[in-house]
Amino acid sequence: MTPKQRRRLSRAVQYVVIAAVVAVLAAVADWGQIADSFFRLDLAAAMFPAVWTPFWNTIVYTLLAFVFGMIVGVPIALMRVSSFGPYRWFARVYVEIFRGLPALLVLFLVGYGVPQAFPGIQYPGGVYGQVAIGLGLTSSAYIAESVRAGIQAVPEGQVEAARSLGMSHTRTMITVVLPQALRIVIPPLTNELVMLTKDSSLVFVLGVTTATMELTKFARNELTANANATPLLVGGLLYLLLTVPLSILARRLETRGDAR
Amino acid sequence: MTSNGTTEPEPLVRIRGLRKRYGDNEVLRGIDLDLAEGEVVCLIGPSGSGKSTLLRCVNLLETPSGGTIVAAGHDMTDPDADLDAARREIGMVFQHFNLFSHLSILDNVAIAQRRVLKTPRSEAEAEARRRLAEVGIEGKERSRPAQLSGGQQQRVAIARALAMGPKLMLFDEPTSALDPELVGEVLAVMKGLAAEGMTMLVVTHEMSFAREVADRVLFLDGGVIVESGPPAEVLTAPKTERAQSFLHRVLHPVD
Repeated sequence: MTPKQRRRLSRAVQYVVIAAVVAVLAAVADWGQIADSFFRLDLAAAMFPAVWTPFWNTIVYTLLAFVFGMIVGVPIALMRVSSFGPYRWFARVYVEIFRGLPALLVLFLVGYGVPQAFPGIQYPGGVYGQVAIGLGLTSSAYIAESVRAGIQAVPEGQVEAARSLGMSHTRTMITVVLPQALRIVIPPLTNELVMLTKDSSLVFVLGVTTATMELTKFARNELTANANATPLLVGGLLYLLLTVPLSILARRLETRGDAR
Repeated sequence: MTSNGTTEPEPLVRIRGLRKRYGDNEVLRGIDLDLAEGEVVCLIGPSGSGKSTLLRCVNLLETPSGGTIVAAGHDMTDPDADLDAARREIGMVFQHFNLFSHLSILDNVAIAQRRVLKTPRSEAEAEARRRLAEVGIEGKERSRPAQLSGGQQQRVAIARALAMGPKLMLFDEPTSALDPELVGEVLAVMKGLAAEGMTMLVVTHEMSFAREVADRVLFLDGGVIVESGPPAEVLTAPKTERAQSFLHRVLHPVD
């Protein structure tokens, strides 16, 4: 057999195997049962318009955590590239901790650990404040690493040019380095937004009401109430409605970044 | 410092015993150099001779390992020196232009005036336009650096440095990264600047520029100044064997 023939044969075998697997699944599956579990249009329709509240909450939680992550993450990134040792070490430890801990555990810590340790503590905005900090801490570690990479990707010559014009170190950072670094960092930050959108599904552990419920919790309640999985499918589609455009945007920004 | 010349004007740059080492590698091994106001000095020499390091020490982009530097009235090597204030008066032009890639051409020239000198925006931009016109860049104010040719970018970089009103200009191989046909436009701008009386320290491989424009040429090799004198002397009749062989290699690369 020539290599070409061998390649063809192997490809043919793969097609046959895939076709066989699909055929077996189709024959064995109870299509009526599947349709009943996932595609009950009446149940899907009944979720509206109530589903818009948790949908909106998912967006709000994501953005709150992202804003908190930026507010904390950018200074951490600056500390990470600082010439002052203790800043670098602190930032390093911070990043390692919050990148290494599960988001769920951090959320528990913020939601239950901190209030226990500091009785009487009130988060601003109630559950919204808890979410911003609880999810934002994890996010800030990832954002800090992305921004640090962006800062280090700005050519040294840009800094030298700024310093040679009499700009101070801080002035150079604000005027020259950060604007260029943030541009480099937009695609990874968009990905972070996608991750946060999904992580917002953890918020239910804080104990949420109808008004503060996020999408996964809402879908799960509907699942339990109807003993049917259709609400999960609707919830999943609504997540994709948020994350797919973000992914496409991230890819666009990435290719445009290359062109420059 | 010296007490001999009371009538002699203070030099704009005074370098004494300048040393720079990276680990075990001593790049500058005791440089003494004075630049009078309005003087144009070209630094030539083989790569690794320390000429770029010397230039970068003048505005302390490189920190000297030893020696003293006084430039434009600032004691650069004093640990308490306000380097930012000193650098405002010392313009620098880089081999790779280093224009701010996220800013328009106009902003590139105006930004330091606005952020460092706190010049109002309208005033800074008017000055930027004047400086751009001076280097022959017009109608490109809204363009990004990447949209300009190398020669145009380098002329913008010169305008950017000039906009701060420097007393001294440092040029670090300003034409080495340019396509050959773009070298002339940059050298022409530098020549005009020299004619206006700007004090200039230029690291260059353009021997014709050095011959025509420089008041003095320094030949560096192995971290020391090997020869120094008027271009006619150093470039045409070098005394040392090292300078002779370097110049021969530069002027007759094919032999």
